[in-house]
Amino acid sequence: MIKHHPETKLLQSFSAGELPVSLSAAISIHVEMCPVCQQRCEEFTEQKAEQYFESAHVDDLAEPIQIDSNLLAMIDNITDDPTQAHVVEPTLNSVAVKGDEYQLPRALRSMSVGRFAGIGKVSRARIDLDEGEIHTSLLQIQPGGMIPEHTHKGFELTLLLDGEFSDDMGTYYPGDFIWLDGRHQHNPKTEQGCLCLTVVSDALHFTQGFGKLLNPFGSLLY
Amino acid sequence: MTQAGTILLQNQKSGLHNKVMTNDNNHQQLAAWLADVANNRDKAAFTGLFRFFAPKIQRIAHQQFSNESQASEVVQETMSNVWRKAHLYSPEKGAPTTWVYTIMRNVSFDMLRKMKSRKEDNFSEDIWPLVEADNVETEVYPDHLQQNQILAYLDKLPENQKQVVKGFYFLEMSQEQLARHLNLPLGTVKSRLRLALGKLKQQLTEQDMGERDD
Ligand SMILES: [Zn+2]
Repeated sequence: MIKHHPETKLLQSFSAGELPVSLSAAISIHVEMCPVCQQRCEEFTEQKAEQYFESAHVDDLAEPIQIDSNLLAMIDNITDDPTQAHVVEPTLNSVAVKGDEYQLPRALRSMSVGRFAGIGKVSRARIDLDEGEIHTSLLQIQPGGMIPEHTHKGFELTLLLDGEFSDDMGTYYPGDFIWLDGRHQHNPKTEQGCLCLTVVSDALHFTQGFGKLLNPFGSLLY
Repeated sequence: MTQAGTILLQNQKSGLHNKVMTNDNNHQQLAAWLADVANNRDKAAFTGLFRFFAPKIQRIAHQQFSNESQASEVVQETMSNVWRKAHLYSPEKGAPTTWVYTIMRNVSFDMLRKMKSRKEDNFSEDIWPLVEADNVETEVYPDHLQQNQILAYLDKLPENQKQVVKGFYFLEMSQEQLARHLNLPLGTVKSRLRLALGKLKQQLTEQDMGERDD
């Protein structure tokens, strides 16, 4: 049973396509597993579509509109191609670590996952997304393993994909979306083992360079 | 004047008689046009959709990218997806405006990503799938991993070769279509394709899977 959800602002930014790929993928995975957030995202998407395409000050079908010659030429150009898009069922990727094999969710299927490496019961594989200070990884913890207590300067998102883990705030199950910022400390451990997607940023460097990309939800993070 | 232009003007004139269209009427008309595009590849219906959406998309994208040519690219990409994917729209799933909005959002998302990173990857359809798994056909690419690898290597090709390979393999255009589309002699398209494939093949044989880590 999923108990931890992305907050409203994140769901809104996600629906509007304003988040980085890493966070968008994480929210997509949650939404696929969580009917509540799925419903909310559908609503946000509809609202956005209405705002863009149907608000009163926007031209509707009844109004003559200016279309320049470039746009006009585009119609010919597009309709020149008679073929229809051939949509295929996505093939899912899987990863293997220490004898366990996991099928990755659809949102991660085209991402390039590095090799698992780690110490003791904790293994990590980077997902190479080239997002500057935002690092995305798969984290596998073997049964009985734990991560030493740590704090964050920026944010840390943990999305539980498989298994369970607990910290002093409770037990988490697949689909749980756990968002922590610099104020939190935690000390997760797992009895049965788990696989998580983590997205971590370092706020120290956060304002430089990448700030622009994160503008839409920058206020959420500071 | 082109055929599309004539239709466009006719639509504008008849539109004037209907000043009080409601959103519901809009939805019905837009959905009917989508169905016509899907079933009959109807250019007049597409022109209707284009008239409604293109100027709005142009304005929205212009705000987002602050750049005229990128805004036009969003229009081009979005509307050509509407043309090619109209058969995937179903009214039960929501308003046609919402459907087109999601296409535009995905196009902008992938474009923004290309501007921010050096990668040529399109993640939007994995993040926001346009169709549910039950009404798609089975995968045609036998080896998805290899396809990903090819995508990565594709990045390293010179721009003119990249264009041809992408058109041919990923947009499934014929060499003739590509030549027309790129305004190049057929022979040039063929030789670029051959060159590019030679290089890709070489890199695929040299590769060592799972090599990269940090
Ligand atoms: Zn949820």
